[in-house]
Amino acid sequence: MAVFHDEVEIEDFEYDEETGTYSYPCPCGDRFLITREDLENGEDVATCPSCSLILRVIYDQVGAEGGWSVLMNASWTVLLWDEKVWAW
Amino acid sequence: MLVCPWEHMFVNFKKNVLFFCVHLKGANSYGQLGLGHKEDVLVPQALEDFSCKCEDIASIAGGGGHSAVVTGAGQLFVCGHNKDGQLGLNHTEDVLRFTLCTALSGFCVKQVACGWDFTIILVGSGLVLSCGSNSFGQLGLPQISGPCLIPQKIESLKENVMNVAAGLRHALAATDSGLVLQWGTGMASQARRASQGKALPVFLTAKEPCEVAGLADVKVKAVAAGSCHSVSLTDEGHLYVWGSNKHGQLVSRNIFLAEPKKIDTQCFSHERIGAVWSGWTHLVARTEAGKVFTWGRVDYGQLGRHAVVPSGQQSTASEQCLELGNTPVSVPCLNGASQIACGSEHNLAIVGGQCFSWGWNEHGMCGDGTEANVHVPKPVKALGCAKQILIGCGAGHSMALCQNSSLDPILQVLQPKRQTRMLLIISG
Repeated sequence: MAVFHDEVEIEDFEYDEETGTYSYPCPCGDRFLITREDLENGEDVATCPSCSLILRVIYDQVGAEGGWSVLMNASWTVLLWDEKVWAW
Repeated sequence: MLVCPWEHMFVNFKKNVLFFCVHLKGANSYGQLGLGHKEDVLVPQALEDFSCKCEDIASIAGGGGHSAVVTGAGQLFVCGHNKDGQLGLNHTEDVLRFTLCTALSGFCVKQVACGWDFTIILVGSGLVLSCGSNSFGQLGLPQISGPCLIPQKIESLKENVMNVAAGLRHALAATDSGLVLQWGTGMASQARRASQGKALPVFLTAKEPCEVAGLADVKVKAVAAGSCHSVSLTDEGHLYVWGSNKHGQLVSRNIFLAEPKKIDTQCFSHERIGAVWSGWTHLVARTEAGKVFTWGRVDYGQLGRHAVVPSGQQSTASEQCLELGNTPVSVPCLNGASQIACGSEHNLAIVGGQCFSWGWNEHGMCGDGTEANVHVPKPVKALGCAKQILIGCGAGHSMALCQNSSLDPILQVLQPKRQTRMLLIISG
């Protein structure tokens, strides 16, 4: 199993809105990266494109984006709740 | 086939008339090695077209992805990563060769401290200028919202400054009256999490120079900065530390120190400290008598000493790490080191006129031609018997100024592995 270089809170990452990417300095001079989409999917490992080091991202799943889907016919109704969870 | 390096050196020496040259090694993704390309270099390589007389070089420093050289005449040469204008050249293109920072032509530069993505410049009159990213207030210029591409005076620093330091997202200055000022909010979030609701000292959240509380009774002569901690050396040879202690670098049991704490002199056999350097999460101090102590993060060999596990004790690997790194321990092979430089997780030292390296080596920053971490300081053989005059480290790269040395480029091991990085810069 890979060893984490460090564990860093998501609030300490810098966020680039254009690319939807969180970044944190890597000791090699590059940056550890993790996308917002990764976080939404429950991923918590930020990787550096230039070296082998990896970072564990600490975040609470504090936000939720959801919506109801409704399926109806004459005899029954299904309400379906879809939820996406993310952190900031 | 064995090739006699001397023969090559001699040929190269004559061909290029390299009486003085700067050798650089390590991560080079932004051109911070000043070699004109962005490939990693695993053994020291000579800079051949540095446009200043190398005998005039006074100091060498490195940041996250940039490098800086100060000449005896007070000029500043810079190269490398420049996305936030940290080179102070009034543009944001990466620069692959050392280039004179002409914006400072009216100043005599005394010292430069390179932070992660910003640069702090101390000039002769005790003024401090800064350029680069200001995302965390690390420029000490709260009136400027974005990055700063040309070095700007930190007007709010009224006192004469003697020494500066720069970390990941904060900076420090020691004044001639012995005060320490800090700015940049790099430590604030960790401090908040550790403080459990208690009010934080103002200097941890300041975006302009703010006096560090708790040092009123001492006179500080030098400062150093880690990724998320600060160090002050007093004129009495004592060390005060504050900030993150995640890796035991503050010799404390607390995870975070919001105010300066003196490191017990007993840790240094009651010797006075003469100089201190900081990596991201480890520290190196030299006593006035010349002993070198290291402590802090240990797992890549940062401390230059083997971890000795006390016999008969059962503890987990991480506990051992913390305990073993937590106490300053002397590294005898570095005794009498004339210079030391710390990168993020690696180090250089000059001992007996020879350059030693140890620590993290994934990008070849230890200059031994491999990518294996170096746990005990060893001479950088590729620098040969050249007289090594000056050293400097960036986060993941190393620099050494040598006299009468030359290295044949044919012998260099170049390892391109950074094609992906260009994409990153564009998207970033």
